[in-house]
Amino acid sequence: MVAAGLGAPVTAMDDLLNDFLAETAEILAEASGALVAWEGDPADRERLDAIFRSVHTIKGSSGFLSLPRITALAHAAEDALDQVRRGHRAADAALVTAVLGVVDRLQELCAALGKSDVEPQGDDSAIIDALAGTGETPASTRPVPSDREPDRFEEEDLSLDLQAWRSIRVPLPLLDSVMTGVTDIVLARNEFGRMLRASGVDASVVAAFDRLSDSIAAMRQSVSQMRMQRIDKLFAPLPRIVRDLAQDLGKKVQFTTSGGEVELDREMMENIRDPLIHIVRNAIDHGIEPLDQRVAAGKGVTAHLTVLARQSGNQIEIEVRDDGRGLSPDALVAKAVASRLVSAAEARALTPKQKLELIFRPGFSTAAKVTSVSGRGVGMDIVKANLEKIGGIVELRNEEGRGLSIVLRMPMTLTIISGLMVRAAGQYFAIPRGAVREILLENSDSVRIDRVGGGELVTVRGEQFPLLRLEAILDCEAGEDEDADERAVVIVRPGQGQSYAISVAAIHDHEELVIKPAAPPIMATGLYAGTTLPDSGQPVLLLDVQGVMAAAAIDASDVERSEGDGPGAPEDEVREMAQLLLFRDTDQRLRGIRLSVIERVEEVPAAALFESGGAVRAQIGERIFPVHAARLPETDAAVKLLRLYDGRSILCYPIDAVIDIVRLPDAIQPAATPGLIAGVVLVGGDPVELIDPFWLMERCDPATSIAAVPQRQPLCSLAGDEDGWGNNFLAPLLRQAGYRVAGADDAHAERPDVLLCLADDPAQCRIDGDVPMIRLRASLAAAGPEDETVYRYDRQALLEALHARLTKGAA
Amino acid sequence: MMDNLYLVARIADTRVALRSRAINSVVTVGTPVRVPAAPPYVAGLFALRSRVLTLIDPHVVVGLPPVPVVEGQRVIVVDVAGHGYALLADEIEDVCFIDAPERRIAGKLLPGWARVADAVIEHRGASLLVVDPAELIVQPVAHAA
Repeated sequence: MVAAGLGAPVTAMDDLLNDFLAETAEILAEASGALVAWEGDPADRERLDAIFRSVHTIKGSSGFLSLPRITALAHAAEDALDQVRRGHRAADAALVTAVLGVVDRLQELCAALGKSDVEPQGDDSAIIDALAGTGETPASTRPVPSDREPDRFEEEDLSLDLQAWRSIRVPLPLLDSVMTGVTDIVLARNEFGRMLRASGVDASVVAAFDRLSDSIAAMRQSVSQMRMQRIDKLFAPLPRIVRDLAQDLGKKVQFTTSGGEVELDREMMENIRDPLIHIVRNAIDHGIEPLDQRVAAGKGVTAHLTVLARQSGNQIEIEVRDDGRGLSPDALVAKAVASRLVSAAEARALTPKQKLELIFRPGFSTAAKVTSVSGRGVGMDIVKANLEKIGGIVELRNEEGRGLSIVLRMPMTLTIISGLMVRAAGQYFAIPRGAVREILLENSDSVRIDRVGGGELVTVRGEQFPLLRLEAILDCEAGEDEDADERAVVIVRPGQGQSYAISVAAIHDHEELVIKPAAPPIMATGLYAGTTLPDSGQPVLLLDVQGVMAAAAIDASDVERSEGDGPGAPEDEVREMAQLLLFRDTDQRLRGIRLSVIERVEEVPAAALFESGGAVRAQIGERIFPVHAARLPETDAAVKLLRLYDGRSILCYPIDAVIDIVRLPDAIQPAATPGLIAGVVLVGGDPVELIDPFWLMERCDPATSIAAVPQRQPLCSLAGDEDGWGNNFLAPLLRQAGYRVAGADDAHAERPDVLLCLADDPAQCRIDGDVPMIRLRASLAAAGPEDETVYRYDRQALLEALHARLTKGAA
Repeated sequence: MMDNLYLVARIADTRVALRSRAINSVVTVGTPVRVPAAPPYVAGLFALRSRVLTLIDPHVVVGLPPVPVVEGQRVIVVDVAGHGYALLADEIEDVCFIDAPERRIAGKLLPGWARVADAVIEHRGASLLVVDPAELIVQPVAHAA
């Protein structure tokens, strides 16, 4: 680095180095996520190519900056990956671990570079050797080499690199100052507009002002887009964290993310990065039980951890959901009392919700002991504080023993939204325009309001919505000088498939609003999404339509609304809506089945499955269940089974992996013929085959199934069984057919449903009460046409006779 | 040295010396906008240029009944955790350097004051409670439970 000593080029070099560091940090974060994903699916060529391009880019730029250690590391990783690309080498866990090792070392080096501007001295040979240390693919399993020339790869990579150059890096503070500037311009414009209107100036001045207004609106649109980033970026490091942590702790975790295409303001993203990582770590460390405890709790060994992002209106929700042990409110209280966060008296007064929220108290750590993983001094209190800083909230959805969902809700952006200004209780409130479906005057002909059971319903052109009065939600008196003719109903859509109506004293107008997060005590009410300063210069609260819905505890789902779902229905019903379990079938197809028919997901060793009588069955514990499979799976590994339950019998359906639980889409493309697949639905843009549980269950006839769940089985009493034939030969047959059998001697308090007389003389088979009787005869031929006896080895006739007697008895 | 610069004021019927570090400015308040459903110590919102400030009534924070806001009343603007707050003041006396040392609070205070006051300081022949304005803004324990 002679140039650095000469003075002038120093800044240019520094800029290049900073760019390199920023870019490399980004590439590395994405690459480790991609590597873990690729490990799960080594056939994914696109992903491999992407990883290869990443290290290739790092190699190229580091060579230019003369950073020999980084170049050597990137080169080694590139070599190894290239061998896989050409089919000379198999992708295995060892290789992925080795490449991850390179990624880690590169991150360390970059961190050191950022501090000292000089690549530190050191030896990377161990890491580079680890790359070479994995075995070669046997020739037979080598993929067919691509017909393209090897050199073509390089060309293709470079063309993609050029794409990356079409964007520039801008320092975040600069972007922020542009944003603040635009915000101030908008506020100044609003004030100016107000003054113009008041002064009653010439129309040409107003027209010029409107043109200015339009370009300002367009500009702020572009600026907000500049600040938006796909949430993918936030998710990129998570797979790696989950993989490493799960390995350290000896847990099996299936990690999935969804909603990566949701966009979020950069600044928001910075603020939730650490909280999100902390929550994910917590989930694996504390939430997900060790393997043996999971088995004992009847859960699959593999835990499911899902991070999903979704946008509803102006809000972004990020949910981290695990199927671990959940939070125990009592344990939390005990711990809080032990660590003197609350007194015993205070603790007794806590509601269940407040007990859970103890985890947000500073100094609270849920782990029985601080572990190396989560106990790093970052607590849920920091998570909450970070969220509140950006006007967000943290919600806990706890199911003790079954899992915990932590939901981070935050405004999509600190920028400008279009808002509807309404009046209630003598002041103004804003409703995000994006959430408003329709506005109607209360006294309009198409609106009918009914008071039912303390709640109110509004019917608009045949569609019914729960109606909330804004004054009632906010617990305020109605304002003075309000005109009943002005009252309006605003139908809002808080989320997909939900809607309800808010009744307000009057509608004011639409305005472009600069939304700022409100202070934590205001956000904590759950009713507001932020504050804003409209043209009037008086602060206005922005209503959180989702929070209002939650506070009022109404069922706002659109489903079956026409059947007359009333307000005040428990919120749980929202959750009971048809849900779809997405899974990968054993033939690797993406399929879905209604969650409600699944009793549980079970993981059993392959040895638990066996073939008998041409059907595959599974032994689980003490019971045997039919399995929907043509033949035994060809694997020694554990088999995942969906246990379907129709209320009577159980059928096991082997699958490859559970992917997610989603809401069952309304649009189903039905299959042409009845069969395993009832139809196809689109979930997140992917076609999913919907399993027909009726067809499945129909095929495993519950009447003859071994798995028939004990229910009210008819009781057969055997009489006159002197030689034990009944007990030895007949009883097993009857039991298999679903009857209970009692000998004549058994002291049964219960009256039998049918009596089987085995003696030649019916007089021997007397029983109290009126019980239908079937007489069995030992001879094949009947005594005559009047003979109602049944030959004792005629299985079919016997079962039919039993059935006939029983149905007659019931009628 | 900003460390011994204090704002001497009367808040919640008590003369206090507020540490000046977190204090942004002292302004007068117009008519605040109510925040329905918010905790009682939130006295409303008001606009200061392009910012929206949350008005805090220290009376409620220390456990006294709320006091209505008078137009033109002076408020102390404080930034805590990225949010702007304004503390309602009964009276603003002075901004001054106090060289006397902060001492441990000897007597027994009302529980509300005991929570927010850090020390006492001697100023012009009177003992003043030393309060960090941020302490008046964090959610009072009594309301948290």
